[in-house]
Amino acid sequence: MTPIGSRPPSVDTTALRKVQPRFSGIESGHGACQGCGQALAARLVLEAAGPDVIVANATGCLEIFTTPWPQSAWTVPWIHSLFENAAAVAAGIEVALRAQGRTTRVLAFAGDGGTFDIGFQALSGMLERNHDVLFVCFDNEAYMNTGVQRSGSTPHGAWTNTSPAGRVRQGKRHFKKDLLAIIAAHGIPYAATASVAYPSDLRAKVRRALDVSGPSFLLLHSPCPLGWGHDSALTISVDRLAVETGLFPILEMERGHVVGSMKIRNPRPVHEYALPQFRFRHLLAETPEAREELEHLQALADANIERYGLLSDAPGPRDSGGADTVRRGGSRWG
Amino acid sequence: MGIDKERPASSVRVNAGGFALPGTSRMNHTGSWRLERPLYVTSPSPCHGACPAHEEIPVYLDHLAMDRPRQAWEALVAANPLPAVTGRVCPHPCETACHRGSYDTAVSIHSAERFLGDMALREGWPYPGLDGDQREEAVAVVGAGPSGLSCAYHLRRVGYRVTLFEALPEAGGTCRIIPDYRLPAEILSREVERILATGIDFRPGQKLGREISLEELEEGFSAVFLAPGRQKNRIYSVDHALPGDLHHGLDLLWEWRNVGSLPRWDRAVVVGGGNTAVDLARTLLRTGSREVHVVTDEELPGLPSPTGRGAMPAIAREVAMALEEGVRIHTGRRIGRLILREERVIAVELLHALKEIEGQTPVHRAFSGTETILETDAVIPAVGQEVDPAGIERLLGNRTFLSLLPTGQVEGETRIFAGGDACPGGGIVSQAVGSGHHGARRIDALLRQKTLSPESPPSPIPFTSLNLAYFEERPAYVPRERHGEARTGFSEIETTGPADEIRTEADRCFSCGHCLECDNCWTLCPDGAVLRTAGIPGIPVPYVFDYDYCKGCGLCAQECPSGHIRMSPEP
Repeated sequence: MTPIGSRPPSVDTTALRKVQPRFSGIESGHGACQGCGQALAARLVLEAAGPDVIVANATGCLEIFTTPWPQSAWTVPWIHSLFENAAAVAAGIEVALRAQGRTTRVLAFAGDGGTFDIGFQALSGMLERNHDVLFVCFDNEAYMNTGVQRSGSTPHGAWTNTSPAGRVRQGKRHFKKDLLAIIAAHGIPYAATASVAYPSDLRAKVRRALDVSGPSFLLLHSPCPLGWGHDSALTISVDRLAVETGLFPILEMERGHVVGSMKIRNPRPVHEYALPQFRFRHLLAETPEAREELEHLQALADANIERYGLLSDAPGPRDSGGADTVRRGGSRWG
Repeated sequence: MGIDKERPASSVRVNAGGFALPGTSRMNHTGSWRLERPLYVTSPSPCHGACPAHEEIPVYLDHLAMDRPRQAWEALVAANPLPAVTGRVCPHPCETACHRGSYDTAVSIHSAERFLGDMALREGWPYPGLDGDQREEAVAVVGAGPSGLSCAYHLRRVGYRVTLFEALPEAGGTCRIIPDYRLPAEILSREVERILATGIDFRPGQKLGREISLEELEEGFSAVFLAPGRQKNRIYSVDHALPGDLHHGLDLLWEWRNVGSLPRWDRAVVVGGGNTAVDLARTLLRTGSREVHVVTDEELPGLPSPTGRGAMPAIAREVAMALEEGVRIHTGRRIGRLILREERVIAVELLHALKEIEGQTPVHRAFSGTETILETDAVIPAVGQEVDPAGIERLLGNRTFLSLLPTGQVEGETRIFAGGDACPGGGIVSQAVGSGHHGARRIDALLRQKTLSPESPPSPIPFTSLNLAYFEERPAYVPRERHGEARTGFSEIETTGPADEIRTEADRCFSCGHCLECDNCWTLCPDGAVLRTAGIPGIPVPYVFDYDYCKGCGLCAQECPSGHIRMSPEP
């Protein structure tokens, strides 16, 4: 047993960072929690998008933890205005760049609060006006920045501070808003969902979204260890289960039509997803109410699998079992 | 253009105009949040733990998978100089231990081993790391079987002058009598010659107790390694009755190798359950004997044994092939009586019998009233061999094997070491190779006056340390074998696989406890605290942790497919 990872004293990490073979749009030293899914997700999106972008960021964790005044973790132009107007700000930048004849791409970043609820109106307007912007929603399924309050994205049965679990209610009573269906209704060229557990798929979708002209939308599931109540080491494992249970379907849409999905090679029962998460743990209690709600959650997962035809007929390189298979020397990531 | 904010403890510059400079977050050393730090820790793989020759299997499979066969072979021969031999004859306990076996099918490690061994012979690659005589001291090695050859080779690698004594005219030891259908003589000769060509002073026809004495060796050499094997047939008789024309199994195998002919019997009975018995039975069928029976009080090997009964020590796969070829194996039987007419055996009396394992010592039982008669022309004992005491009487005392100290010396000696079949626990070629390597390391330690801590067997990384989400089921390479009529001669049964298939098979290795360079840690760190270093001169590892920013979340360790990252409490 030889520990070889302790940084050799001779290694100059500042120099090493300059020769990394991937672009880093968010630098180290940001204040995200340990194991933050959103910090990882935002870095992966920018790795795929490259340096020639401008980011308009809604209020939220990402905005807070990357910009501890007077510092910034961003290495690309970045602007924050308000919670509700990331799409509007991005639209304005896009129009200005177009007027100047520049090809820099515009990204809008927001959490699920800034997308599903507070920023929804601006988003809908941006899509309707056909702005050439990629809007990325980092979906951690509650208002985490303000202390874990329910959002329109919080799934059914999940505990939050404003959807507590007790004798009367088993967590959130309502369902997760089917935002993708609303996005589809705008008939935009490209919309997709992705998960931090499948970075190769995520990167391909960012590149595809930037390849189309006109509005595109990416719903990016990114676990929050603090708000979901799981171990910080389990961010990827938990999100893989979100996909493999069917609770978070991985889809691609062109002009509102579902044109592709990540098939599930080995579907997992929802209790495996619930087990490591505090927000679902009450569903595992030995009470009739908990059992019923867990079955309800399973039924919602099954309904997703049925609706989008997520079951795999034969193992393939792009299904949930193949999309993250490792290759020696890292060639998988492309 | 910036102004200093009034924060005396900080040199932070605040820019007028409400903007921040890019990437300035790196001023915050968020590594201070950390309670545990990740470490890249190479742990022993289960195959390595099970390999009697201590091969670093994941290392050479990785080279092979990445299409670097020469580096793969060089990593292989760092432990075992006879891969073309062991790739053919070893029962490969590595494959039994392989974690991939608990997932889909074990990696066909022996196929990779023999492929590399054959490729090296074909290409004429020289052994790496032989830089001549850096050491003054000379070491004597007695016995040019796999243990002695391995010891001599490993001593050469660290620069000792080595003289290798062998009683027979040729090197190779007991490997020489392994039949050609398992190990072609030419393959053995070529690997042996390559070892002898490393600058070993080879002295054939020199037998301990005949041409040379232990005292002379002690006088003329700084250290002695004894690997005489087991050359003396164990005495065999049934109630003191013996046929006049008794042949021992091992002698017949030597006769076949040296003379090239064997008696042809209508029906021969081979007694014993080891590899000699099975090799001989199959050889007799191939050389014209019509019926060959094997009698043993043990069970077939490789079966679940809830009764605690002893299984035949022969390699399970070889026993299965013997049965396919028509050898009749009578398990759970013992010969109670030889039926002789004028000193010729005409039949044997068989009894139901069993061998029970109670603690260390086996107990043999036979049951009267169960006798049957098996007519035969010959009874051939293959019941094992003992160490020939000639020349080493002083070391053996009243024992039948050489007993070793934990530091490798023969008990009661300081400069005499031993290995191979002459010591307890021997029996397969890779063990002999491993014991020779071990002896060489111990001799080197003695001569450099280094203290080596007693070697504890490596504890392999547990299956649960792997993250199986990153692997997929993949069909295993199945070695091609001759069947039926194609297997009646002495052509090799198994063939060396084609390069592309073997490379694909090597890529099935999970690399348990070793780095796959899959980029998971680098890709998945939320804090950008893993930096890729591959290809940058002067840094021997593919990634480094930047502890200035690692918050210790543990994600990289969790998502490492091969268990190469461990979390350790912050000092």
